[in-house]
Amino acid sequence: MSSPSSATLRRAPAPRITLLRVLDLLRMPALALFTAFAIGAILIWITSGSLQTVFEAYAGLIRGAFFKQRGLSETLVASVPYIFLSLAVAVGFKAGLFNIGVEGQFYIGAICAAWAGQAFHNLPAIVHLPLTVLAGMLGGAIWAAIPGFLKARTGAHEVINTIMMNYIAFRLVEYVVSGPLRDRLATAVQTARVAPEAELWSLWAVPERMRDPLNALGVALLLALITWFVARSLKKGAARRGEAQPGSTSFVSRHSPLIAAVVVGILSFVGLPPLTRLWWPFTDQYDRMHVGLILALLAAVAVWWLLWKTTTGFELRTSGANPNAARYSGISITRNIVLAMAISGGLAGIAGVVEILGVSICRCLPLFFSSGYGFDSIAIALLANNNPFGIVAGSFLWGAMRNGADLMELTSGVSKYIISVIQALVLLFVAAPSVVRWIYRMKEVPRTEAEAPLARGWGG
Amino acid sequence: MTPALQASGITKRFPGVLANDHVNFTLEKGEIHALLGENGAGKSTLMNILYGLYGPDEGEIVINGQTAQITTPHDAIAQGIGMVHQHFMLVPPLTVTENIMLGQESLTSATRALGGLAVLDRRGAGARISALSQQYGLAVEPEAYVRDLTVGEQQRVEIVKALYRAADILILDEPTAVLTPQEADELFVIMRRLVAQGKSIVFITHKLREVFAVADTISVMRSGQMVGSVKPGEATQEVLAEMMVGRKVILQLDKAEAHPGEPILQVENLQVLDDRRQLAVDGVSLEVRAGEILGIAGVQGNGQTELAEGLTGLRRVAGGHVMLLGQDTTNATPRKLIEVGTAHVPEDRHKHGLVLSFPVRDNLVLCTYYEPPYAQGVELDFAAIEEQAYRLVEMFDIRTPAIETNVGSLSGGNQQKVIVARELSRPIRLLIANQPTRGLDVGSIEFIHRQIVEARDRGTAVLLISAELDEIMSLSDRIAVMYKGKILDVLDASAAVREQLGLLMAGVTPAAGTEDAHV
Repeated sequence: MSSPSSATLRRAPAPRITLLRVLDLLRMPALALFTAFAIGAILIWITSGSLQTVFEAYAGLIRGAFFKQRGLSETLVASVPYIFLSLAVAVGFKAGLFNIGVEGQFYIGAICAAWAGQAFHNLPAIVHLPLTVLAGMLGGAIWAAIPGFLKARTGAHEVINTIMMNYIAFRLVEYVVSGPLRDRLATAVQTARVAPEAELWSLWAVPERMRDPLNALGVALLLALITWFVARSLKKGAARRGEAQPGSTSFVSRHSPLIAAVVVGILSFVGLPPLTRLWWPFTDQYDRMHVGLILALLAAVAVWWLLWKTTTGFELRTSGANPNAARYSGISITRNIVLAMAISGGLAGIAGVVEILGVSICRCLPLFFSSGYGFDSIAIALLANNNPFGIVAGSFLWGAMRNGADLMELTSGVSKYIISVIQALVLLFVAAPSVVRWIYRMKEVPRTEAEAPLARGWGG
Repeated sequence: MTPALQASGITKRFPGVLANDHVNFTLEKGEIHALLGENGAGKSTLMNILYGLYGPDEGEIVINGQTAQITTPHDAIAQGIGMVHQHFMLVPPLTVTENIMLGQESLTSATRALGGLAVLDRRGAGARISALSQQYGLAVEPEAYVRDLTVGEQQRVEIVKALYRAADILILDEPTAVLTPQEADELFVIMRRLVAQGKSIVFITHKLREVFAVADTISVMRSGQMVGSVKPGEATQEVLAEMMVGRKVILQLDKAEAHPGEPILQVENLQVLDDRRQLAVDGVSLEVRAGEILGIAGVQGNGQTELAEGLTGLRRVAGGHVMLLGQDTTNATPRKLIEVGTAHVPEDRHKHGLVLSFPVRDNLVLCTYYEPPYAQGVELDFAAIEEQAYRLVEMFDIRTPAIETNVGSLSGGNQQKVIVARELSRPIRLLIANQPTRGLDVGSIEFIHRQIVEARDRGTAVLLISAELDEIMSLSDRIAVMYKGKILDVLDASAAVREQLGLLMAGVTPAAGTEDAHV
């Protein structure tokens, strides 16, 4: 068999993300989705007996998800918790752990946020909002770290323990909502409304919020941080591809990310409040769209950075990919199991926070607060193959299906539960890619052609 | 006389690879035909085609003068071909009889009508197995559980299994890889007896010495092609090695005399338990000095794995002391040991040595990823990691299309080079190499041996554990023989004789009865 003739490798520039590679990655999920919708169509056809219903149903689904009044924004509202929760599941998967307890961690995050949001008054939003988010995150993290610790110490399987922790969480939240944290003034059983400072801003309210200089400062700081991170990544990428000019060690070029961040920060602090007052596209006060979406996108970037760019992520992924090799290389498996569960639970907790502070109509936690987001997000993480950016796309899709289902049922008479069937089919095809390959007569090809000559599995 | 099996023009393509390129192969009746070749030469592909595991793209197979269509192992078995795989296909919790019947169960005649509920005819099958084992001198106990058998016994069960299916042609894939020299000799006796009674055998191996011991004809494959066939009388080891590799090979390793320095590793009365909580390392004491190679010879499963794991922090030490550079490192964590200066080439490269789904690049910094220059603060510095990867790929001749290629898709030899490169590129004082060349091709073995000797010459203390006596004898400066968790004796490599070591490996000490020896 041929092997590369020489070991001297051409120093290729760090691989750029090409369209071809992205399309290659998207092929299996896209086929899984297409096949699931095709089978869904057949099911609708059979059960309704008319081909027209199929078109009505899918048209209704699309209209409900995107084109009805506030359709798109409701889809986005629904995708926010999906993003956080599937990121949570993905972090677990990457570390070799099946965190099936994100639903419970979501509830714990929600109750912690409901508490922290109404426990303080007259704190500025720049303090109160992060504090509330942090409370929910910590709650979820601790809740998930418990089964993590049990696994690390005793080997107790995390699937069993996170499921059990789910039920404990549900009942605990019921008790807290109807007992210690119950709002006695409300007729419904629910917690007290959180302080206005702790609320996640609705998108239409941004110009109003930006009048407060402290809020503007918070936004400016956040934007400065994002600028710094992006500028730094770009600079590093350029250095890795050898595009940076050597010898340019002037103060400006050495500190360019920092300077960019300061400039953006100052500009947005000064400029954004008047600008948003002059022009702001979101004016519909019934639109539930809120800034949590931005947090979710930031979380996706943060998870990507954590997993692929940091030593901690390297340890988590090594522990997940081959725990024996991790131990051999000196990585503490115990520490990483607990850490991975805590990060996972923290992300799930934030999903709960966002639902309380940004979505729930009473800005509180009602007794019968059901989400069902948690279990769907396991499917999303699988569909996205644990890729944070794939998760954003998958969450949007799931949000659209969840949001469009009602109008579909209304206009076509097809039960909205057909959506669950389609989602289950997607999961089936993603979990069993050979089924998809069989349907489309695809050959199981090596991942990249360059690797093929070296794959020696069949060698003599 | 018609050949037992004749394959002509066999061609098999895999994506990007020509695994078999118009291969011709003829197996005469009643001969032992050795098929030599490096890993990846196409030996297993050819045999898998004969056994119906792969369909050939081109070519023809003729068995006993009849053209045969073999598309499944069932066809192959029906044509009288039996195969003993390198990794045994046995079910440990079942008995020998049950394993042999598996897939061809005989049922008691009274209950046969019950179909899936019929009762197995264990007695009848057992009787047939006993008869076969008597006829060919293959001692197997039909009622024994496979999990209780030694590797050699399991291999005999595999052979009986093939004979039970009325095989006339036996394909033995690397059968000696798991055996001691003595067990291998026993196998050769069995093989001789089988051909004497009319069977024909294809014997796949990459060990040159063995083909001279047993083969009637030797065929050599390289890069998917049949290089040629010779009779053992007409060739020498050097000639065969050259045919295998395609260039001159130095079989004898040249190394300078060792200049041992200060003691690096001192082990005193070490006790380590195995997974079943039995004492696997039973009071081992040894010392490895800077600039010397201490080889540990022994048949696999005599506590070598547990010894290496105990010394590298992967397994808890139950008793005794380990001193590394004068520090007490008994039960130190793997990271602590790595930082003090231990390098470890683990026995199982897939289990401990590599993360197969990670790129070559990441595997090369598996033990140092958290230190500068590979990490800056909490972030990995990929520029530095890539720099190191390019450097090591070149220095250690790792054949990979790119440093981003997953290690799992490299050949075994290149995977092992990744581990050796990673471990030897750190500033180390002690190298623990456990089976460093198992399953590798001649070229890689040569390369890794040279690296180990060079590490020694730089002043590294080397503890070499290997079940290959040849490897121990050619590399070591001193040889310790391990048997049942104890070191039976330590010999100077220059004074050690193969037969003497073989006896020690079997637990026979010169002064019988005194099994304790001090190192």
